[in-house]
Amino acid sequence: MSVLDRKLRRDMMSSWVLLLAITSIITVGVAEYVAFGSAYANLTEAKRRYYAQCRMADFSIDLKKVPTAELAPVAELPGVAAVRSRIRFNATVALEGVPRPLNGMVLSLPDRREPVIDDIVLRSGGYFTDRRQNEVIVNDRFARTHNLQPGDWIHLVLNNRRQELFVVGTAVSSEFVYLLGPGAIIPDPEHYGVFYIKQTYAEDVFDFDGAANQLLGLLAPELRERPGGVLQRAERMLSPYGVFITTPLVDQASNKYLSQEIDGLRMFAVFMPTIFLTVAALVLNVLLSRLAEQQRTVVGTLKAIGYSDPQVFFHFLKFALAIGILGGLLGCVLGYYLAALMNIAYRGTFEFPELNNHFYLGLHSTGMLISVLCAVLGSIHGTRAVLKLRPAEAMRPKPPRQGGAVLLEHVGWFWTRLSSGWRMVLRSIVRSRMRTAAGVFAAAMGAAVLVAGFMMIEATVYLIDFQFRWIQRSDIELTLKDERGIDALAEAARLPGVDRAEPTLNVACTFINGLHRKKGGITGLTHDARLTVPHDRAARPIRIPSAGLVMSRKLAEILHLKRGDTVLVQTIKGLRRTYRVPVVEIADGYLGTAVYADINYLSRLIGEELAVSGVQLATDRKAKHTAALWRELKRLPALEAVNSRADMIESINETLIKHMNIFIGMIVIFAGVIFFGSILNASLVSLAERTRELATLRVLGYGPWQIGSLMLRESLIVTLIGTVLGMPIGYMLTVGMARMYDSEMFRFPVVSSPGTYIWTIMLAVAFALVAHLVVQRTIHRMDWLEALQAKE
Amino acid sequence: MIETIVNADHVLLRLEHVDKVFQMGQLAVKALSDVSLTIRQGEFLVMTGPSGSGKSTILNIVGGLDSVTAGEVWFRQRRMTAFTSSELTRYRRDTVGFIFQFYNLVPNLSAEENVMVSTELSSDPMDVVEALQLVGLDERRHHFPSQLSGGEQQRVAIARALAKNPALLLCDEPTGALDFSTGKRVLRMLVDLNRQLGKTIVLITHNSAIAPIADRVVRLRSGQVVEIHDNPEPVPPEEITW
Repeated sequence: MSVLDRKLRRDMMSSWVLLLAITSIITVGVAEYVAFGSAYANLTEAKRRYYAQCRMADFSIDLKKVPTAELAPVAELPGVAAVRSRIRFNATVALEGVPRPLNGMVLSLPDRREPVIDDIVLRSGGYFTDRRQNEVIVNDRFARTHNLQPGDWIHLVLNNRRQELFVVGTAVSSEFVYLLGPGAIIPDPEHYGVFYIKQTYAEDVFDFDGAANQLLGLLAPELRERPGGVLQRAERMLSPYGVFITTPLVDQASNKYLSQEIDGLRMFAVFMPTIFLTVAALVLNVLLSRLAEQQRTVVGTLKAIGYSDPQVFFHFLKFALAIGILGGLLGCVLGYYLAALMNIAYRGTFEFPELNNHFYLGLHSTGMLISVLCAVLGSIHGTRAVLKLRPAEAMRPKPPRQGGAVLLEHVGWFWTRLSSGWRMVLRSIVRSRMRTAAGVFAAAMGAAVLVAGFMMIEATVYLIDFQFRWIQRSDIELTLKDERGIDALAEAARLPGVDRAEPTLNVACTFINGLHRKKGGITGLTHDARLTVPHDRAARPIRIPSAGLVMSRKLAEILHLKRGDTVLVQTIKGLRRTYRVPVVEIADGYLGTAVYADINYLSRLIGEELAVSGVQLATDRKAKHTAALWRELKRLPALEAVNSRADMIESINETLIKHMNIFIGMIVIFAGVIFFGSILNASLVSLAERTRELATLRVLGYGPWQIGSLMLRESLIVTLIGTVLGMPIGYMLTVGMARMYDSEMFRFPVVSSPGTYIWTIMLAVAFALVAHLVVQRTIHRMDWLEALQAKE
Repeated sequence: MIETIVNADHVLLRLEHVDKVFQMGQLAVKALSDVSLTIRQGEFLVMTGPSGSGKSTILNIVGGLDSVTAGEVWFRQRRMTAFTSSELTRYRRDTVGFIFQFYNLVPNLSAEENVMVSTELSSDPMDVVEALQLVGLDERRHHFPSQLSGGEQQRVAIARALAKNPALLLCDEPTGALDFSTGKRVLRMLVDLNRQLGKTIVLITHNSAIAPIADRVVRLRSGQVVEIHDNPEPVPPEEITW
């Protein structure tokens, strides 16, 4: 090791606190890059492999009922590579030892194993056998949650009949990487499962001999990106059989959530490290400028002895390189383990046959490179200034900085009221422009990260509140297998513990406004409905009009409709007629694209007296009654689905809130690193620059705490200015994220309560105080006499 | 051309009509004005003058640390004023040893390491311990500057300057920060280097009492040379007093 390297090592060791502060910012930046990048690559690769393995469908068309023989022309459409039809129904599931009926989706698979579109990957047991017709393969996570194993028997209500099925295996499939039950916002394997049964058995129990109600297809590669045309043609061909909805892969629920997550990771992998590494570069710039300034004489001497400019430059650059390499290495290691943790979390959210955290050499190398580059760029400015000096000049003390009055001093009434301490603080802030700018920027970024993080949490809480407390207020929602008359409501009202029962009617239809069309559905509610209450933008409840529609804002946007416009509604079931209907109100919501109408009005539209397809119940919530109610519901065969709001909220709380807490912790730690690192750096640099000035104050009788208070005031002002500037940035970030995640299925509310801003300020101040503790310790330990004697 | 009249054997450095102006913010300060001077191979030259007379400026220019505003500087037959930055670096590295008033040791390197700072650069360095022995500090070679007295620090600086075997030693007030007897010891060391090892030494000082030890004395005032006189019989440092 050369002597200069030894000097470097000692320089670094003597300022290890500062190095730690900067290195930690770089480390976090690189770790985020590596973690998000790895998670992105892990998920992308797992998705690609899994989709190929299962021959993931490029589109699906849900129909009322179609003879399989009629599907041949669709398969022959140019651009369609292959098709498969299957039978798909919702069902309720009765399990031993589970008090309430559970929900599930039943899908048919060929009796004999053959590669099919939307295939399954077996996880335990085997495929169907010839031994019995009533065999079932259960989706793996549901099976594991309920401890179901091959060889167990379960009960499904299929086509109004309770059927006993023999579990032969458990499986996963690429179409349910993210399995959502109807109306759910997160996977809930405790209450929702997928059940695969034999094709022939499904045809038998659902009276679908030679027929199907869902078509799956693969497209030619060149059409995958824009399947619109071919799907329209397919839909037209199949329209006699009642097309409910055509779903290209991009709109497939599971794929959409997974893809959004992957896109989000890619964005975060660029965005977050940029924030951190920019802050690190600025902070490093301040530190290196100071270091080079402090070692002015050494620089001059080295040059006088005969060291060349590049040698001296590289010597200082090594300081930055060391930080860059150290930060990069630590970041790579931390990032790898963060990615492993994220991977564990993703295994809990997404269901893949295999999801592993890999080591990506390219990603880690890029991380290292970015880190080193950031350090070098951050240090070049500060280092170069000294290099430009001729050696003789470098050895002379730096001419005193331009004194002069700062702008604030011209505000006479203000300035004259300030104590000398405050004047020193303000002058120092104004004169060290670069340092102040770096501090303000760092604090702004830290605050933006905090505000955006807190707003994400607020959005989640608000969304859950809005959806499950304001709009959906029933305790239990029953979906009937078939439309029934008013008697179904009376029956439901008689169930144990039911205080109130309200009917609902779901009608699948196509909305048409000129060139804009959209398949969807209308939910009929009674005009005085209290268990589903749509709300407007100002969170005011909307009363269901006796005629016309209450349409969700998202759908109105898609169809280019506004309040007072009319829309064509074409029903898919029943008489399949087209009506022109007014849009009376626009409702707000964050899930789906609901449309509401008066149930009587809607019944008349489909040509019936009063049809009921679901019942919402408010119960007295007494445990005894609830148990009896569940028992009754478990026995009722006419139910397609049973949803409990309490269970839904509980499962959301369990998973989402748990993740949220981890998320808050991470955000606060990350923001803390920024705040702490930059404040510490700014204060220590300021301290070093002003040693003589402060030593003089000591001699004049200032105590260490008074000196500390000067430093603290300075960093608090800079931190608070930055924090206040960062808040709107955080808000804008959230708006940007909300835009990014805006889809028909899911939207992200942008809400920010005073709490978000108060917490951000409190945390910023707390970080500043913690950083100041280190500064105060340095002040206490400083040798003031030596500082006074040292020559400039 | 000037080269033709230079006696390369005897003249190491020559300044011709040198001006130096410092720009201090909006203020231009003329540090040297029409200075012409030769430095001979192997001589012990002392430059004296009050502070601000331009001594340090000349030393820095001669040492390749600073540039001139006008005029020419010659090192042997080479025109230093035309040196590129890397040629200047090479010149400082191979030819010049600096000794500063405030020693300019690197604070977090030991005495030995401070000497190594210069030996690591040189193609033909002295042994580090030998250099420290020459200044009588081999025993204290592991001490850091903060653990050494002023005189000891200056001796380390001399060892550092010597260790790379330069032809020219430039001393900027080498005794300025030292007490009387330590100062004289340092001067003795410099005289010995000049007499025994044949090093050319240029020493600047505001202390004219030191002048009698030199072969030649240059007096400066307000950036101009006011007197040059030869001293055929230099006085040993032990005999001078201030």
